Amino acid sequence: MTDTTVAGAAAVPGSEPPSGDVPVIAAGNAPAFPGRRRTPLLRGRGLTGLILVAAVIVAGVAAPLLAPYAPEEQIRNANLLGPSWQHLLGTDEVNRDVLSRTLYGIRVDALIVFIAVPAGAVLGSLAGVVSSQFAVADVVTQRVFDVLLAFPALILAIGLTAVTGPGAVPIGVVVVALELPLFGRLVRTATLAVRELPFVRAAEAMGAPRSWVLRRHVLPNVAEPVLVQLALSMSGAVFIDSAMNFIGIGVRPPTPSLGSVLAASVANLHSNPMYAVGPLIVIAVLVLGCQLIAQALTADRRRAGA
Amino acid sequence: MPPMNPLLTRRSVLAGLGFTGAALLTGCTSAVSLQAGSPANETSKGGTLRAGIGQDLIPGNFFTNSNSGITTLIGLVYEGLIRYPNDRVAPTPRLATSWQMSADGRALTLTLRQGVTFHTGRPFTSKDVEFSLRTYAEPVWNGQLRSTAAAITSYDTSDPQKVVLHLAHPLGNIFDLLDTVPIVDSETFDGVGTGRQYVGTGPFRFVSWTPNSQLRFAKNPKYWQPGLPYLDNVNVSVVPDPTSLTSQLRSGQIDYAYGNSYLDIEQLAATKRFTKHQLAGAEQQIYVGTNITAPALSDIRVRQAIAYAIDRERIMSEVFRNSGYAVNLPWPKYSNAYDANKNTTYALDTAKASALVKEYGKPIAEIPLAYSAQVPLYRQTAQIVQANLQAVGIPVTLDPLDGAQFVKRLIGAEFPGMWTTFHSWAQYTPSTLTVSAYPFNAAKNSSHYSSAQYSSDATQAWQVADGGSEEAVGHYGRLSDDLLSALFLIEIGVVQPQWVTSNRLRGVSYTKRQELDLTRAALSV
Repeated sequence: MTDTTVAGAAAVPGSEPPSGDVPVIAAGNAPAFPGRRRTPLLRGRGLTGLILVAAVIVAGVAAPLLAPYAPEEQIRNANLLGPSWQHLLGTDEVNRDVLSRTLYGIRVDALIVFIAVPAGAVLGSLAGVVSSQFAVADVVTQRVFDVLLAFPALILAIGLTAVTGPGAVPIGVVVVALELPLFGRLVRTATLAVRELPFVRAAEAMGAPRSWVLRRHVLPNVAEPVLVQLALSMSGAVFIDSAMNFIGIGVRPPTPSLGSVLAASVANLHSNPMYAVGPLIVIAVLVLGCQLIAQALTADRRRAGA
Repeated sequence: MPPMNPLLTRRSVLAGLGFTGAALLTGCTSAVSLQAGSPANETSKGGTLRAGIGQDLIPGNFFTNSNSGITTLIGLVYEGLIRYPNDRVAPTPRLATSWQMSADGRALTLTLRQGVTFHTGRPFTSKDVEFSLRTYAEPVWNGQLRSTAAAITSYDTSDPQKVVLHLAHPLGNIFDLLDTVPIVDSETFDGVGTGRQYVGTGPFRFVSWTPNSQLRFAKNPKYWQPGLPYLDNVNVSVVPDPTSLTSQLRSGQIDYAYGNSYLDIEQLAATKRFTKHQLAGAEQQIYVGTNITAPALSDIRVRQAIAYAIDRERIMSEVFRNSGYAVNLPWPKYSNAYDANKNTTYALDTAKASALVKEYGKPIAEIPLAYSAQVPLYRQTAQIVQANLQAVGIPVTLDPLDGAQFVKRLIGAEFPGMWTTFHSWAQYTPSTLTVSAYPFNAAKNSSHYSSAQYSSDATQAWQVADGGSEEAVGHYGRLSDDLLSALFLIEIGVVQPQWVTSNRLRGVSYTKRQELDLTRAALSV
């Protein structure tokens, strides 16, 4: 038996694995010890992705230091100016500095991406775990997930904002609602698979409580796919957030967001072609960064399972 | 140094460049002369005009003149009894050839044009006038001049070529009604509400409507004006995005557009390939409305502060690209209610605005400012107004709404704070505005404003038989004073709408309600 032989495989409450590490099983037949493995985010594309995302976050956090103007300041006689040393990306249709609005716009997007997506991931994972343990809960959650998945993201967003009105909170709710079924299904499937593994069965046979088995054996084994999905979902959330702001159901003006700056730029590209460049670059960098992180994590899982 | 390629000697290169330059110049000159000398500048009969508009037809709003889908349909398919020239309020013949008002101003006799038929072939008679005016007066159609139509107490249609309208009282704006109401075919009117059938007497027949996509029209071969119209067909695409509308013009997919931004039109006109049509005489007014029952807005000092704080000149210049002028009152300059002095009552004065806010004394909670989110002009205006008011201590939250929701709130007087949009009807007899338009209607308006004085002045102005008389002008002056002192609506500016056409299209015209008139339009060869 080679596929499930791990340290502490038959551990029961009160006994610790010899190494002190949490025993985890990758998808394949080799044990994985993340603490001993060099993290995929410190090399290659993982590192590149991390740097890209970090650069965007730093730009957003440091916006008050980097931005030459307040994001909502309407500058006299500065209507739709082209790029200059005074306004590197020009000005918009109500005389605001586009660079400043782009930098501050990162903050709104980052808040949604880095709060709403993890919130959706946590709630979805919890729902997945619960549904894997109780038959009734399983039926209910799966049908709820079916309903959520039946709505395309923007239709769901339009429906919700028709009731609540536009704003950052509705965007966050939409992102959470979209992530719930993704993480819920992922965790449920992974949990059901891990539960069938011999060492988990052995622990249960030895009288280990269900909660202990979940905490010590199941959750550590589903953590990696959840992390990969998290990175992917973050890049997707950038799109959803930008798209909602683009079609006018995002944050309320004059608060800047990447999508709203981009949307406003479209009608004014003939006057200031650089208007769209700033938000486009930031969105592209953020999505690319998240994708590279997800790819690095996926590749690492494959390697670990090989 | 290796020997130079004989084909690339300095002389041969210069000769080659010279030849190429000459060839290019010749080519350009030929192209220019071809264009100038060819029939390209001449118009011809026939052809299909491809047009683009920003808003789709809403059948239920047929009588409201509220969007470009409706004004395009009515302009092409229907006609009124009279027509005002664009630059003044003076009736000229259309389906009525002459008219006579009784001495007491309570009976108007209209002689109708002979030989006019509906698109179904049925002759136009006095019964159709009665049917059209009575239908317009039905509340279900939300016609803004309903009160005027309802003041027609009876119709004498005994002569098919003559109709006598008996009025409850003299109506200074009766011709506004006759200019506005399209004459509809009673036999097919059921199709109007569903968007299935539109039958009028106009130069084009309605062919089909594909919701959110296209309206199609064909020439009316039996039009009463011989030889007109020139065009065979008109296909109107619905293009809600102003940028796409501009792109379609640039790429030659359409030759007429209504719905572009003022900035785009300015840039298109600068290319010399397109013609800007500024609709003088068909003005709209951009304004900020207030719910005077809302906290803070119920105090006149706060409303005055708003009026002093708004930078009207900036909005007219940056948002509307100087296609109009700043005002304090709704009347356009040619109106007999216009008064230049009164229009400076609330000139920009931020110090005075701040002082009024301080005088009010209480903390002002965030006031919502609603606008239709789909229209970039409103978003721009709202953001400037917000910044202006914040600067004098009036906090404002922007509230972008879906277009249909916005109109529902406007008609239902459901705005909790302020709103910004266009209104119209000030280009007509001034009394029309104060007894008809939703925001101004003295009987019921979107601001919840009610005043015995305002109602009385509005009614008196309305009931003067000659809307252009000195007596009427005196009433308009008092109405202007009422509007300036109550300030339930804060005017920003009079705006002339703009259309843009490619230089291929000639002879495009419009009515005072921005209806598209292609009776004499033609495409160049």
